[in-house]
Amino acid sequence: MEESEDVPKDFVKLKCEKLSVDEVSELVVSPYCGAVSLFIGTTRNNFEGKKVIHLEYEAYTSMAETEIKKICRDVRQKWPSVKHIAVHHRLGVVPITEASVIIAVSSPHRAESLEAVMYCINTLKASVPIWKKEIYEDEYSWKENKECFWANSEK
Amino acid sequence: QVSVLYFARSAELAGLRCETLSVPREITSLQLWEEIVKVHPRLAVIRDQVVFAVRQEYVLLGDQLLLLQPGDEVAIIPPISGG
Repeated sequence: MEESEDVPKDFVKLKCEKLSVDEVSELVVSPYCGAVSLFIGTTRNNFEGKKVIHLEYEAYTSMAETEIKKICRDVRQKWPSVKHIAVHHRLGVVPITEASVIIAVSSPHRAESLEAVMYCINTLKASVPIWKKEIYEDEYSWKENKECFWANSEK
Repeated sequence: QVSVLYFARSAELAGLRCETLSVPREITSLQLWEEIVKVHPRLAVIRDQVVFAVRQEYVLLGDQLLLLQPGDEVAIIPPISGG
């Protein structure tokens, strides 16, 4: 295809089904890009000595999608050579070792896509209205990202 | 009349995810919080940790004057933990 037909696209999806790394990376692949960078956020099995059984995610879905699209716009301003961006986040129950989030970015050369992926996950953790509950054997805990700009972690 | 949405810990404390509330059109974000706590006193414990999203824009609890329209969505946003 002509490069003018390979219009930069953002692929944002929140879904309850298992995420697929193949699917997300294929969304951003482009014949004009030599690099696809990926971040996969997976579920750890422990927190402060407690065994984590699984995670549960919920979202203010409409606003979360809007905030992720804002992140994509910011990425394109900071790294204009970025071609496609895909952010898939899972909602509902996520078992241990499965992915909660997959971010993929393509660009002609590797520096931009690597930096853009890092920016996406860092900013997502600071601004997107999604919440994670860790389920332990006897109890559960709503997590708070340290990046969250209004949370007072002293409390 | 605005739609109030509750998420995560705030939904557990309030016991529901969504309701309609009647509030004045012009109200500060702190006053709005106080109206909501009148209906759901258990929310008081998270006052220092939450922000609002009014028409999907974040608003801190404070003196900011909100100009609410009928049907506006106001969400209670506990500290986030996506990703």
